[in-house]
Amino acid sequence: MTSPGSAVDSLSAAIKCNIIPNQEYLLQGSVLDQYVEVLLHRLRGLCDNVDSGPESFNDHELCFTLRGNTPNSSMVLPLRVRRALDVPDAPWQLRYVGQHELGDKNRPTAVRSSIDMACSSTIVEFLTELGCRVDFEYIARGYMFRKGRMKITVSKIFKMGSMASKPNESVEPISQSYLVELSVLAPSGQDAIAEDMRIFAEQLKPLVQLEKIDYKRLAHIQ
Amino acid sequence: MGVTVVQNFPITENRTGPSTIELLTKRISALGAIQQGHFLVDCETYTSVPQLGNPRTVHILHNSEQPATVFSILETENKTIPLATDGLFDLLMIKMANFYTSKKQTKAESKGPRYEIGDFLVKLGTVTVSQNFKGVLVEVEYRPCVVPAMCWELMREFLQGFLGSTAQSAPPLYLQNRMQDIYSPIDTIHQYLEQFTIYRKAPGLRT
Repeated sequence: MTSPGSAVDSLSAAIKCNIIPNQEYLLQGSVLDQYVEVLLHRLRGLCDNVDSGPESFNDHELCFTLRGNTPNSSMVLPLRVRRALDVPDAPWQLRYVGQHELGDKNRPTAVRSSIDMACSSTIVEFLTELGCRVDFEYIARGYMFRKGRMKITVSKIFKMGSMASKPNESVEPISQSYLVELSVLAPSGQDAIAEDMRIFAEQLKPLVQLEKIDYKRLAHIQ
Repeated sequence: MGVTVVQNFPITENRTGPSTIELLTKRISALGAIQQGHFLVDCETYTSVPQLGNPRTVHILHNSEQPATVFSILETENKTIPLATDGLFDLLMIKMANFYTSKKQTKAESKGPRYEIGDFLVKLGTVTVSQNFKGVLVEVEYRPCVVPAMCWELMREFLQGFLGSTAQSAPPLYLQNRMQDIYSPIDTIHQYLEQFTIYRKAPGLRT
């Protein structure tokens, strides 16, 4: 009979063996509302969950940051909380997403560090009291497909608006298009998966153009 | 998962930690308990940096009974908020190092043998605070029931059976306001934190 090791020791061991999926490989794109059915049809044909059909979701996401209250403080920790509106009993999801790294031209996907975990529904109160502030929130509704380790989501993003006060009222979409994301969560250094993603993205052209999106460039457009 | 009670077992002057555990082991074995592995509950405490404004404390606890879960208890001036997450929360605490720092001298743990005896689970814990021996914690779980009020009397009788007169006659403070509620693993964590806080404040051994 061996004594249980401390949780922190087993976590350090897991880090050492590099088995923690803490890198997200990501490609993003969008498709106009009127063409989404064509894309969904194509995905249905390409992906693994052919028989069961795509899984639908209706999620509420809150984006928090934890930052010092001194001006120009460079210490910022972004945290996201997601919950399924259609499955109220499901655990909530807490996620840290790090800097979006595009790498050089030869790198097929963007990579960002990610720590993803299930949590109890006390998370919003916990983060608020911890010192986090909500930056923005939205509702994402759509479909999720799988292809091996790859995850493909096609989601419509809605403004929260008056959702809190009038929960039954229909929410307002932020655009006339759907966000398409192709991602894999893997331990660091598994760059081969990025190549698989590039090949898969090729198969979705010209319905949707999945790219490494440079967020800095988007900031200039606004 | 049933109802759990955690209580301190005072160490008398002529005994050491190991001899106290040995004494309790003898008593519980005489009742027919069978050892089923070991257990470990640990607690690390983090405090907010001044730049974050009002001081807050986050206690991070692990319990080998729920090995895939990290329990956190956040204490602010007027609120206590519990949180249960997957194991990766420990990794997130490292990311928070700029905002919350751990007081290394306060790492507390209770570990030792775990026994099964009928419907009860008994754990005899040696408590250390930053590696210094502080005392003995006895955890008893009555597994068929989830409402404390419905099994407290039975548990008290069982506790008295092997702890003798040192068994508490009243439920732990934390449970007293929750006797009619459904018991869950976070309630055990609260009791451990309550005990660890007392051990940390005690200058030497807790008697």
